[in-house]
Amino acid sequence: MTTLNLQRRQQLYAVLAVLVVALLVVACAAPVAPAATAGEISREDTLIFASDLTDILTLDPAVAYEFSGIQAEGSIYETLVSFTTGQAGVQPLLAESWETTEEGDSWVLTFTLNPDATFASGNPVTAADVVYSWGRAIDLNKSPAFLLIDVLQLTKESLSAPDAQTFVVKFPKTVSPQVFLSVITFTVAAVVEQAVIEANAGEDMGSTWLNDNSAGSGPYVLNKWERAVQVVLDANPNYWGEAPKLPRVIMQSVSEAANRQAALETGDADIVQDLSPEQKVALEGNPDIEIINADNTQLIYIGMNAMTAPFDNPDVREAVRYAINYEEIIALTGGDAKLTQEVIPVGFLGYTGELPFTQDIEKAKALLAGAGIPEGTEITALVPAAFPAGPIDFPTLAAKIQSDLAEVGLVLNLQQLQVAELLNIYRSEDAAAKQMVFILWGPDYPDPDGNMTPFTNYAAKSIAWRNGWDNPEIAEMTAQAAIAATAEERIQLYADITERVFHEGPYAVLYQPIRTYGLRSNLEGFDFNPSDTPSLNFAAISK
Amino acid sequence: MIRFILRRLLGLVFVMLGVSIFTFAIAQVVPVDPAAAALGAKAREDQIAAYRLELGLDRPVWEQYAHYVGRLLQGDLGNSIRTRRPVADDLLDFFPATFELALAALIVSLLFGIPFGILAALRRNSWVDGLARLIALIGGSMPIFYVGLLGLGLFYRQLRWLPGQGRLDSTLNPPELITGLFTLDALLTRNWVVLENAIWHLILPALTLGYFSTAVLLRITRSSMLEALSQDYVRTARSKGLREQWVVLRHVFKNALPPVLTTIGLTFGSLLSGAVLTETVFGWPGLGKYATTSVSNLDLPAVMGVTLLAAIIYPAVNTLVDIGYSLVDPRVQVD
Amino acid sequence: MLFSDVFRRLRKEPLALLGLFLIVLFFLLALGAPLISPFGPNEQDIIGAKLAPPSWQHWMGADILGRDMLSRMLYGARISVFVGLAVVAVAGSFGTLVGLFAGYRRGWIDEIVMRITDIFLAFPPLILAMAIAGALGPSLTNALIAVVVVLWPIYARLVRGQVLILREREFIEAAQTIGVPGHQLLLRHLLPNVLAPLLVQASFDMGSSILIIAGLSFIGFGAQPPTPEWGVMISDGRNYITTQWWLTAGPAAGILLLVAAFNLLGDGLRDVLDPRLRR
Repeated sequence: MTTLNLQRRQQLYAVLAVLVVALLVVACAAPVAPAATAGEISREDTLIFASDLTDILTLDPAVAYEFSGIQAEGSIYETLVSFTTGQAGVQPLLAESWETTEEGDSWVLTFTLNPDATFASGNPVTAADVVYSWGRAIDLNKSPAFLLIDVLQLTKESLSAPDAQTFVVKFPKTVSPQVFLSVITFTVAAVVEQAVIEANAGEDMGSTWLNDNSAGSGPYVLNKWERAVQVVLDANPNYWGEAPKLPRVIMQSVSEAANRQAALETGDADIVQDLSPEQKVALEGNPDIEIINADNTQLIYIGMNAMTAPFDNPDVREAVRYAINYEEIIALTGGDAKLTQEVIPVGFLGYTGELPFTQDIEKAKALLAGAGIPEGTEITALVPAAFPAGPIDFPTLAAKIQSDLAEVGLVLNLQQLQVAELLNIYRSEDAAAKQMVFILWGPDYPDPDGNMTPFTNYAAKSIAWRNGWDNPEIAEMTAQAAIAATAEERIQLYADITERVFHEGPYAVLYQPIRTYGLRSNLEGFDFNPSDTPSLNFAAISK
Repeated sequence: MIRFILRRLLGLVFVMLGVSIFTFAIAQVVPVDPAAAALGAKAREDQIAAYRLELGLDRPVWEQYAHYVGRLLQGDLGNSIRTRRPVADDLLDFFPATFELALAALIVSLLFGIPFGILAALRRNSWVDGLARLIALIGGSMPIFYVGLLGLGLFYRQLRWLPGQGRLDSTLNPPELITGLFTLDALLTRNWVVLENAIWHLILPALTLGYFSTAVLLRITRSSMLEALSQDYVRTARSKGLREQWVVLRHVFKNALPPVLTTIGLTFGSLLSGAVLTETVFGWPGLGKYATTSVSNLDLPAVMGVTLLAAIIYPAVNTLVDIGYSLVDPRVQVD
Repeated sequence: MLFSDVFRRLRKEPLALLGLFLIVLFFLLALGAPLISPFGPNEQDIIGAKLAPPSWQHWMGADILGRDMLSRMLYGARISVFVGLAVVAVAGSFGTLVGLFAGYRRGWIDEIVMRITDIFLAFPPLILAMAIAGALGPSLTNALIAVVVVLWPIYARLVRGQVLILREREFIEAAQTIGVPGHQLLLRHLLPNVLAPLLVQASFDMGSSILIIAGLSFIGFGAQPPTPEWGVMISDGRNYITTQWWLTAGPAAGILLLVAAFNLLGDGLRDVLDPRLRR
């Protein structure tokens, strides 16, 4: 090689060497912890909560119907009543007391507002604000509005504010006051500050404005919502209740479970939502981390269409329920699921805890033979693609069921769809297209009727309707149970209904997933209440 | 010259028209009723029917397409079914993140691919060459999502050398919005803390996204250099001595350049593709993630918007490269 | 330019031979999967082998449903090999025909074809594939269709370009003078000379289509669980990447080796056939 090439070569070597050295320097230097600039809140005073926030679509309480959005809003806005851990029944929040009276064929609930309650602006929370807030939700008529309009059968005329501290609402006797109080703990009934919203109404009653600002009375206010990145909440300096322990909460969107685990281990996150069973095992011995298993009220179930062969024969539906290997399914979930076979979730009034079904291949086969279903009968099942059924995903669950049903001679053809498309078909009139559906259901409010009516009442055009199950007798029992006067009566009625649904219904209920939270050990005050909306109380957490 | 540029631009317009037709056609295939999807789960039949009329879904297809193009020209890409915001706003929100990532990846691949490729060509069949070719081979054959996952697992979780997902530490505020690129904006506003943090966060995703392009550029540079080096005049110059060789090498570089430049334009397309996977793994709030979420939710307007945007950027970049190169070297008219 | 020629020259390229060897190896493994696999690809054993690390019973460990990873790898090879070949075969054939036609006929047909390919080539591959797979529904078949749509224009342009060069050659003129009919000209005379760059491109594309399909499956738009496609398997195991590494390392290695093999072969073919391209 001549000297020129040598020179050129040396030049390039030099360049490469510099690059390599630079890389090494970069790699070996510890990442600098960013110093909080003046006025910013330090890391120690911030609670970082990492979960998959891609479901957040809005921060307007009258519009939000997604788990993460509600978790955010629930910290900014308050409802008249709410649930507290350790105490049964609804507890006062913005309303300090209430009274139920009758007026013809309606109930009248009179709420007396807490005189101390103020908005973040400093202005008091008045009954007029309540009337405005509920009326606004009804007018906007978005996803959660059905709770007020259909379930509680309210109209704007039902609401009135005789004076600043008194809020009166009138609703038909077909709705039970108990249910009423449960439903209004949901964020759709949160109180927003009328003056502020009206000043920023724009074209949609302030909905867009509320995505970046807040007008509530809760312990936090909205600092900012960085779309697809994070929601930042700052402590409300004018909060009328007990001040939140930490001045800032950052809800960070981390979609990959592996990244959540990493964030928890490195301390980049204080709380992490949704860890898989294997991740829990991996984190077990770690002294810096605490694992909390929280009850989740979701139900993972299989729907069989009772108006389509072969499921129009109740024995065939029963056969499927006896073909499933429930034990192995729970093993599949790593134990992160509570086996349940009824439509009322664990923890709700009326939950029986009965487990009438265990795998009995012989019995299943006998039922099928009796119904004249030959071996090798094909069934098409719709499965939501890449969608979590708690700790595992639906395709994995469906694969397991497919293998179980094969043992009794039923051939399951799994059709995977985007969940949006599956829901479309599920809600459509085409019974043949939804022979069998794998899906889940989460109750909107912590009253058993919130599940029972959809699951048993064909006329409600909900789950029973989607599965073609029309049983007026059971639907009537459900209606009675909803408005029964005492808790004991309701429990008994629900037990009867559940018994019927077990064997006559078109469902194979599988499990309730357990939601796993990972916490840094230095956290105190963590509290998850599945009945409460939102389920996590950020204000009570400290380090 | 002008004619050449005009021709290219006209071609670009035609392509965009075709792209819009194609995107529109894809949307027609989707088995979801746009009106029902837009109104949501609790909508009633009469509401849906009314909305269908409002959206003009009862009109003949070509008329719908005409309206679609008309709105496109006004910058109206419709509203996302999921976020309920104008798709154009969504795209503007998420585009800078992807652009920053792609740019960083491009820089990485230029920095590593070209010098290494040159070196490999100059030292053909040496261990340097062998290493380069091995890197190029592996780079072009590994699934990018696996590399990303591994990178995070290793450099973040195990070694803690690099930060985790996202563009910035969550405790930091993004810099003042000028371009949307955190690094650039931080630089322009002299926000050193954020600049440093943003660069740290860029390293791993940029390396992940960029290594495939690095491999490609390495290969092309090497083979292009080899090609140019094999010319007669090089051999002659080699036998002549120092100064001649230096002059010749400059010629060699210049001649080796065209395929490399063209490849840079092409790799931009693969960067946009790779961004989809990289952003998913790194939780990078860009177009890739937006595209994935939109397709999952069958959010038609959003899907169409993203596809359209991608199909406009890619040929636009290539056209710019072509034009730019022909400006540099008027003899070359790339067709 | 005969195949025996190619093979002879290829023998001098050890890397290309390595690639070819690997490809054939995977092909044989894929073919023989039903015979070689110790278990069925969907045979579950939740109680016994959930997430089992590599052992004598399960050489490559087991996944969350207790399915044997080795068996799934072998069946996955079937899918990937099939994917690589099928997609390129279909896209290549269609694209070649179009390219031959356009290059030979020239004129406005050529212009139209060029514009159409421009349109298809305007989309970044994965994004177009995603949109198509999303529209048609998530499945392996639809992903294959999507990739074919993405790939065919490459062949059309490649072949067209070659035809443009070749048609000026004497042997074409000679054939035309004799009066050889058009389609015969295309198929018997032009096509064989176009094969060289075609094969090189095809080899590389077999690798890239495997990568694209794996990518699509990873984000959920391609093959669906429980299909033992390698991309799906990596997606299944992504949460366990550092803890139960065997779930992802196997499929990733599979993809790497197979795609690298195609790349090596393509490199070798190009080196062998390249000088001829230039003339």
